[in-house]
Amino acid sequence: MAARGADYEVTLIDEHPQELKNMSFDAPYFYGSGLPASLSDETAVFDNVLSSNELLLECVENEVDVKIGVVAWGAFHNAPNSQHIGTPKVGIVSREGNELLEYDALILATGSRDFVPSFKGWELPGVLGGKAGAKLLTSYQCFNGTRCLVLGTAPLAVEFARAACDRGIDIAGFVEPTSKFQAGDQELEWALNAGIPILYESVILEAGGTDKVSSATVISTDGSGKQAEVECDTICVSIAVLPNVELPAAMGCEMQFAEEHPAWVPKVDSNLQTSVQDVYWLSAFNAQDDQIPRILSAVGDAASASEAPTGTTQHGARAADYINVWVAKLLEMGGSDVVLCQCETVTRSEFLELQPPRYLKAGMRHPHVAVTGGDAGPKISQDLTKRMTRVGMGHCQGKRCRDEAAVLLSQHYGIPLKDIKPGSYRFPVRPIDMSLIAAEDDDYHTREKWPHWMHEEVVPESVAGTAKR
Amino acid sequence: MMNYDVIVVGSGLLGLSTAYHAQKAGARVLVIDRGAVAYEASSRATGYLSLRADDPDEAPLAGMAEKLWDTLDEELGYPTEWTQKGRLWVAFSDKQLEELHQTYKAFTRADFGFELIDAQACRELIPILSPETRAGLYTPRSGHANPQRVSQAYAWAFQDYGGTILEHTPVYSVIAEGGKAKGVKTAAGDILADRVVLCAGGYNANLLEPFGVVFPVATVRLEALVTTPLPPMYEVGFIGLNGLSIRQTKRGNLHANGGPHEWVDLDADIEPNKPNTPIVRNLVRRMIEAFPVAKGAQLLRTWAGVLDITRDQKTIIHRFDHPEGLLVAAGAGHGFGMAPAIGIAMAELALKGHTSAPIEGLSLERFAGLSPTWKAEKKWDAGSYNT
Ligand SMILES: Cc1cc2nc3c(=O)[nH]c(=O)nc-3n(C[C@H](O)[C@H](O)[C@H](O)COP(=O)(O)OP(=O)(O)OC[C@H]3O[C@@H](n4cnc5c(N)ncnc54)[C@H](O)[C@@H]3O)c2cc1C
Ligand SMILES: Cc1cc2nc3c(=O)[nH]c(=O)nc-3n(C[C@H](O)[C@H](O)[C@H](O)COP(=O)(O)OP(=O)(O)OC[C@H]3O[C@@H](n4cnc5c(N)ncnc54)[C@H](O)[C@@H]3O)c2cc1C
Repeated sequence: MAARGADYEVTLIDEHPQELKNMSFDAPYFYGSGLPASLSDETAVFDNVLSSNELLLECVENEVDVKIGVVAWGAFHNAPNSQHIGTPKVGIVSREGNELLEYDALILATGSRDFVPSFKGWELPGVLGGKAGAKLLTSYQCFNGTRCLVLGTAPLAVEFARAACDRGIDIAGFVEPTSKFQAGDQELEWALNAGIPILYESVILEAGGTDKVSSATVISTDGSGKQAEVECDTICVSIAVLPNVELPAAMGCEMQFAEEHPAWVPKVDSNLQTSVQDVYWLSAFNAQDDQIPRILSAVGDAASASEAPTGTTQHGARAADYINVWVAKLLEMGGSDVVLCQCETVTRSEFLELQPPRYLKAGMRHPHVAVTGGDAGPKISQDLTKRMTRVGMGHCQGKRCRDEAAVLLSQHYGIPLKDIKPGSYRFPVRPIDMSLIAAEDDDYHTREKWPHWMHEEVVPESVAGTAKR
Repeated sequence: MMNYDVIVVGSGLLGLSTAYHAQKAGARVLVIDRGAVAYEASSRATGYLSLRADDPDEAPLAGMAEKLWDTLDEELGYPTEWTQKGRLWVAFSDKQLEELHQTYKAFTRADFGFELIDAQACRELIPILSPETRAGLYTPRSGHANPQRVSQAYAWAFQDYGGTILEHTPVYSVIAEGGKAKGVKTAAGDILADRVVLCAGGYNANLLEPFGVVFPVATVRLEALVTTPLPPMYEVGFIGLNGLSIRQTKRGNLHANGGPHEWVDLDADIEPNKPNTPIVRNLVRRMIEAFPVAKGAQLLRTWAGVLDITRDQKTIIHRFDHPEGLLVAAGAGHGFGMAPAIGIAMAELALKGHTSAPIEGLSLERFAGLSPTWKAEKKWDAGSYNT
């Protein structure tokens, strides 16, 4: 709206409402496998998502070209070793097909996603993330569940719980690994007034149920081993959110590690411009409170680019510490025989030992570790662990497991997260139907000039060796 | 100061395979790489062993590699996903059919049992082939493997013998004194060894320049992709004459590469940039043309790799007399499949000065008199696209 107000032509792209099938890959949010069937009513879903978003409607009225249900799967600009892109462009894909949109300025405001660590039974329908839960309740207005256990007590957890209560859903309790209610006293008071039990110094041991969640086993972390069975049909994991950085990372924006989140975020100047020209990072994870005017003034005045580095911000307690506590306690209580990667069915121990995937039915002659020696460079590369174990290589593109995997590596090897190189992000930033992303503009020139893969090219008679002739 | 028997520059498959065999033979070997182990071409390849049947100089080395592949898992001690199920070229149009016949003729220069087969026979090998399938060129020989596993298998097997890998350490030059190789200058200081083996991909040319060598390689960026996993459908290595090579991985993904490419320059200190471009959409289109069922899958991931191509697109294996102790190898676009054999040849040449591997005709001698401006003449200089 601000850009439109400044008289720019503006296109706004957002992937919601997502197709049910695409939601099942848990991107951007961790919806889990228990998505309500009512989501397949696309007309109703479009209505719900649009009508619950007043700002979006306002955009439509003000001639912002609003493209919803559309994914920005990639972005392309001339860069070293790729000099033939021409005008910078974004690849977008809808339910109908794909197109390339040219831009003068690209504002990445891709928001955040759920951090959901593994526990026994976390693949059962009924387990979902706090962002997913809130989105399903307030935007899609489709929610499966009547009694929900909430993991975590950070603001996200309370936000979800409040939204759930408003819609008549029972909150079976909050599970908190420390002795402190993270969202603060005011929210604690709300929870107590609402009569919601708070299970301090506890984590979840297991989600129970055969074909969907019917209970949760919560275990005390005080060493007593005390367990409690909580009856519930949904488990909402609301521990932390992390920025959606796959698009800037994959398009080559320089990234930096923000200790407190803990996450890799694009490096920006004081106008929020990334290392890629005309590409801006607008995010709740940035420190500035006047991000929009800064970006707009920079877009209007190309010469205004500034070198000053900027910090990042945080909501309340350090998410990094909270994530660390959760991962450590879940491992301590749940052990290492828990599936860490749902797509590829890899347990925590198989991952940490770098075991080849089960379907290869092969072992390793000697054990090896992920840590590499030498003084330079990262100490662990998640690309290596991904290649060897397939954790992060599955259908969800690592969105479920990559963050917990990094924290596990960090704790297991005693290597700070900043020294662990995250697995490379690649286009497309969501899995895309092949039929939708296939080029329609495969013109005569492309076809005629399409080379055969070089090494399969036949060596011409004139240069073929003569050894055996 | 550190001291080794052999320094290998580059931890791609050529470097790792050479290092593995030299260490196994008893030498103390150090592998140095600017980046992480096998982070460049070797882990980004499709994973085919090209038999080089069209070139009688290279075919014997490919034949040697083929035998090594068959027992590589046991040799190294780690799974490589080697799948020995042959290779199949398929034509989908009249024009491609004509190319197929030419290819067949060229492939009879060596004896790898290639035969032309009809569409029905093609479909027996790959049931999901398009109805447009016209004919195929097939050999039951050779196969494919998982490049990431193969590279790491060599790295681990090398370390199991006590070998050392130094990552994130660019090599700037080769140190030579009195006509002999003495070691290398790196970002971490000088490291010494009497034998220096250059396996730094396209950067070999930069390292050889101070010795007055015009090393005939150019570097190129290529794109690749995988789909989400599908049920097992075929195992042969497929090469579509519509311009896409596609193998089905053990996990079920369709893994492909092909299409336009861009020639690039390299720098010792910087990881070569290798972005994908919108051309991946055209790769997808070709995959669907070849295998209509691919429509039901999803595009999961794309990536690109940079690799070195030699002027005549053939392997280079060379041991210099001046300076003595300096060696170089180039994979020429099919180094993945050749690596098991190239490593043995290079290790033997480095340690013994000679090798039993069939490398006749693969030395630098064939390029005597190469014009210093050959890259520009061939439009293989940085920035050229699709030439
Ligand atoms: C618990 C909690 C409490 C908070 N309290 C406050 C508060 O009191 N005050 C305050 O100012 N802020 C608060 N915030 C922050 C505020 O809610 C968020 O900053 C805001 O929702 C973020 O908006 P956004 O537009 O950055 O991201 P989002 O709302 O996440 O929007 C990003 C959108 O981009 C879409 N997207 C991402 N990638 C792609 C792609 N490749 N293609 C297409 N679409 C894509 C996503 O699906 C999403 O719809 C709070 C946040 C949390 C979690
Ligand atoms: C998309 C794609 C598909 C392919 N498909 C196949 C296939 O199916 N079959 C096949 O046989 N081949 C294939 N290839 C080619 C094959 O990958 C290469 O020929 C082979 O990997 C070359 O191995 P290498 O060790 O020489 O190079 P690389 O693996 O590139 O290794 C060179 C190493 O040298 C390092 N280095 C460079 N400069 C320096 C320096 N100054 N100091 C220190 N280290 C340095 C680099 O970091 C790198 O790790 C493919 C390539 C690509 C990109």
